[in-house]
Amino acid sequence: MNSTELDILLVDDSQEDIDLTLHALQRENLANHIQVVRDGEEALDFIFCEGAFAKRSLDCLPRLILLDLKLPKVDGIEVLRRIKSNPHTKLVPIVILTSSKEERDLIKGYDLGANSYIQKPVDFDKFRETVKRIGLYWMLTNQRPLVHQAKGQGA
Amino acid sequence: MTPKANQTTASRTGLQVLLVEDTAADAELILRELRRGGFEVTGEVVQAPEAFRRRLRASVPDLVLADYNLGQWSGMEALDILREEDLDVPLILVSGALGDVAAVECIKRGATDYVLKDNLARLPISIRRALQEKGLRQGRRRAEEEVARKAAELARSNTELEQFAYVASHDLQEPLRMVAAYTQLLAERYHGKLDAQADKYIHYAVDGALRMQTLIQDLLAFSRAGRTGLKMEAADCNLLVKDALQNLIAAAREGGAIVKFRDLPVVLGNAAQLRQVFQNLIGNAIKFRGPKPPIVQITAEPIDGAWVLSVADNGIGIAAEHAESVFVVFQRLHTRTEYSGNGIGLAICKKIIERHGGRIWVESAENQGATFKFTLPAKEPALNPDAGTVGVERPDAQQTPSLVG
Repeated sequence: MNSTELDILLVDDSQEDIDLTLHALQRENLANHIQVVRDGEEALDFIFCEGAFAKRSLDCLPRLILLDLKLPKVDGIEVLRRIKSNPHTKLVPIVILTSSKEERDLIKGYDLGANSYIQKPVDFDKFRETVKRIGLYWMLTNQRPLVHQAKGQGA
Repeated sequence: MTPKANQTTASRTGLQVLLVEDTAADAELILRELRRGGFEVTGEVVQAPEAFRRRLRASVPDLVLADYNLGQWSGMEALDILREEDLDVPLILVSGALGDVAAVECIKRGATDYVLKDNLARLPISIRRALQEKGLRQGRRRAEEEVARKAAELARSNTELEQFAYVASHDLQEPLRMVAAYTQLLAERYHGKLDAQADKYIHYAVDGALRMQTLIQDLLAFSRAGRTGLKMEAADCNLLVKDALQNLIAAAREGGAIVKFRDLPVVLGNAAQLRQVFQNLIGNAIKFRGPKPPIVQITAEPIDGAWVLSVADNGIGIAAEHAESVFVVFQRLHTRTEYSGNGIGLAICKKIIERHGGRIWVESAENQGATFKFTLPAKEPALNPDAGTVGVERPDAQQTPSLVG
């Protein structure tokens, strides 16, 4: 992947769900610039260019983060909190995509600044449709601030 | 309660009596009177509160006979000590002249009886009655404790079961989602690329996974029907039926069904759940149709401050031996190819109606149509049975039946 081009950071610990999500995005040609990480710690390392991602540029931020909540090491809520409380990263849209529909997760998510909260649909076709709509909306419809565009993501 | 106190019966020999008495002669007189009355008595005498308390703690007597006026203290205070020690031991005041006011006060504060010293012949009768009452009291308490214990046990096991159903179905859903998704993906990608046999097997796998998903969702819906908090409000059944019909419009149209209702009452209940009941019952009435187009009639009649609502159809009916089992979860009377569904609808109706304090049943015979009836509390507790149109605010609903189809 070209390090200056990044559309989506997908944070999910289930390979099955990762493959399904990628499959749905590929069908819409939305999967060209995707980074996948499998736990909360890796997600934070990626965003803040630490650990295995120390050589990455801090300016290369994804245009969208798809975030699962139940994650190993650092859970999704903490990942959300860290990204949304940092002035440099807080404008990156985060869509929570989880199997939990517990009210407290929803409230916590929105409270910490999540841009959307979506429960993974149980039905396969609906899942595919939902991922497609998320991808199209955030990649094509949604307008992002110039400050992020100027930082050379080149998308 | 100590075992000693539990063994007490009036006829038992060896009655342990604790006398609170400061006159030795009186104590002797009392004991003699008891023996004459047929009791085999072991008596002990105490005069002061500390000694009384000490003696109670050493062993619990069957009976306390206390003088009212003891100089330093009174038999009344002995009552307080018994209460403090949490003992159910009958106390009878044995006293010289006791005014009516004092006597009443004693009984009020928990003395079983009072007997005047110049009428000691009455004492054995009074004692027998006291011991008998205590026996009854203990029996009743034991029965009450047993009932309370059983009820708590039942409530706990119910909660556990519901919790289990919820957790199990919730956790089963995730792996199943994968099975369903990937078999569907297989079917999509490889249809016609393997052999006909493979296509068929994949189709079976997809079908099974999807069916199980529906089952689990139904189970979750069933468990939810019993878990969500119930906000009770005045609910107009005419509106509930209308809303339910909105959701059934496709099925009703397809079958050419006619649904008639009018003058339905306002009941006390949870609107969302009751709409679900109407929807399930009307949906069934349309689904289990006979050769003729379905006609569904919803009526209500007031009985004893409650309403009996009926959903009657002209469908295939239910044989008498199945009248109970149709309300059981996943109980189906037909194969899936004859009629679709998982057998959850009526189980949900039953759960909802029972949560409303009502009852649901079916009156039917095979090929005779079915009438499902359920009771619901009326909006007004004191309902005038003659007022068949209580709470119906829509005059247009009185005469013209609503038609769907």
